Amino acid sequence: MNENTMSIPHLVANASLVVQLVLLLLVAASLFSWVVIFQRSFALNRAQKSHEQFESTFWSGVDLNDLYRDIPADDARRGAENIFQSGFREFHRLAPKTQRVDTVLEGVQRSMRVAWSREENRLTKHLVLLATVASASPYIGLFGTVWGIMGSFQSLSMAQQATLATVAPWIAEALIATAMGLLAAIPAVIFYNRLSSQATRLLGQYEDFAEEFYAILHRNLQGRDAPAR
Amino acid sequence: MSKRWGQKHRRQQAGSYFWPTVLAVLLHLAVFAFSLLKLPTNEETPDSSSIVQATLVSTETRTDVAQQVSEQRSAANAEEKPSEPQPEPEPPAETSPGKLEQAVIDQAEDMAAREEQKALEQAEAEARADAERRAEQAKREAEEAAERKAKRAAEAEAQRKQAAAEKAAAEKVAAEKAAEEKRQQEAEAQRKKEAAEKAVAEKAAEEKRQKEAEAQRKKEAAEKAAAEKAAEEKREKEAEAQRKKEAAEKAAAEKAAEEKRQKEAREAAEAAMQRELEGQKEAAAKARQAEQAANGFIAIVRRAVEQAWLIPAGASDSMSATLNVRLGPSGEVLAATVATSSGDSSFDRSAVQAVEQAAPFIELRDLPATQQSELRQFNLRFTPGDVR
Repeated sequence: MNENTMSIPHLVANASLVVQLVLLLLVAASLFSWVVIFQRSFALNRAQKSHEQFESTFWSGVDLNDLYRDIPADDARRGAENIFQSGFREFHRLAPKTQRVDTVLEGVQRSMRVAWSREENRLTKHLVLLATVASASPYIGLFGTVWGIMGSFQSLSMAQQATLATVAPWIAEALIATAMGLLAAIPAVIFYNRLSSQATRLLGQYEDFAEEFYAILHRNLQGRDAPAR
Repeated sequence: MSKRWGQKHRRQQAGSYFWPTVLAVLLHLAVFAFSLLKLPTNEETPDSSSIVQATLVSTETRTDVAQQVSEQRSAANAEEKPSEPQPEPEPPAETSPGKLEQAVIDQAEDMAAREEQKALEQAEAEARADAERRAEQAKREAEEAAERKAKRAAEAEAQRKQAAAEKAAAEKVAAEKAAEEKRQQEAEAQRKKEAAEKAVAEKAAEEKRQKEAEAQRKKEAAEKAAAEKAAEEKREKEAEAQRKKEAAEKAAAEKAAEEKRQKEAREAAEAAMQRELEGQKEAAAKARQAEQAANGFIAIVRRAVEQAWLIPAGASDSMSATLNVRLGPSGEVLAATVATSSGDSSFDRSAVQAVEQAAPFIELRDLPATQQSELRQFNLRFTPGDVR
């Protein structure tokens, strides 16, 4: 039993078909989870940055009408900008139609809630995949290991002499499946927690912004409503 | 400004899965490459926790040089360790036991290798000498046979020649006799005729007749001689051709025989070489086995002594004593003397007692006879180490 026969690629190549399929599945899961990790990390960082930028612009004292007009209609914006856009659009549409402040504010709130929900959907997209990989791949790996050890015991029953050398390669290659499962699961768990917390924080910021914007509109309407009535 | 953002956003959105995919694939490839990469494993032999080190010394077969080397080595090991703040006069090399043991093993290996080498060389030399001897013998035999054959051939030829000459001489004599008889008969017949037909014989006619007869006789004789000579020559030629042919055949046969003999000799030499090689292999295997047996015995002794050793309470970790142990043929301890004292007499005494307690080492009898004599004397090194 030299080093060559116990190297990881050699063990994988010599494993049984079920174990190899399990390994393939786990490699695919790991690959997908890492794609999601990178993509989500970039997307969330980008969203965070653009949100900060938008907030600084929003609170810089710029006229809201100008701000709204600056956003082209055909270019759907992301994050807080999207919430602001849909809320302001609804406000613009409703304000001329009705004099009732409650109706206008209700419509604005509803449209902003829809926009926020859409943002939430967008931010947490694919994070479920990470969660699935994180929770399922150890079990898949364990299945491969159990299968491999079953094979090792079968070979042991056929062997004349039950030495460690006859079972060791089998057990080693069976354990590779568990290792692979953990290798896929650990980053998935870590990044799922990190990314979902990041998304939750961002969504909280969006919610705060929506409330603040709502308060501004409310204030404006109060100011406009009183003389109108 | 916001328009530019929008474009940028869309571009990023379009390729948002490209770079993550590339990065993920690269990461997995890197991990795979790392798994393929063989890290240089440091194969440190596990530090033996044994507290008694056995050192095989001064066996009969060991050369003095090897012993000196081993002594120098152990001395160097002892000197390597600078003196610790211990009152003991000779701080033992705590780190050296592994080395020492290694040295012993090295030495044993060296010895085995040397012996093996020697055996190999000897066997090779013998095989070569054997083959040479055989080849020479074959050559000599071949030469002798050739000489004998040539001699025989020469003798036969000479005999043949003599026989031919004798034969020729006999034939000549016979021919002459025959001619003489014929001549006499003729002469008689003529004389009778002359006497019967012509009472009166004319001397001239007779002379003439006689002359004619003589001439004829002479002629006949000459003719006969010539014919005989030709026949003789022909016979001789034929005989010569026959001889030549026979000689050629014989030479060819001899050549073939010679070749066959040489081939046989070659084959025999090869077979001998093969046998020698096998013998060498066997010898090497035997040497290895013997070495293993020796190591096994040393290990047994060490374990037994370790178990029997009651370390005195005052002993410090850095103390060390070396005992020279001589065994009897059945494994009983003949003498256990302190070779290198630890400076603490009670410590030394405890070591001696441990050896006496652990004796006899009856496993010595299980070893082959050659090993037994080698293992009859060895050194035991006592260091409490971290085992208190």
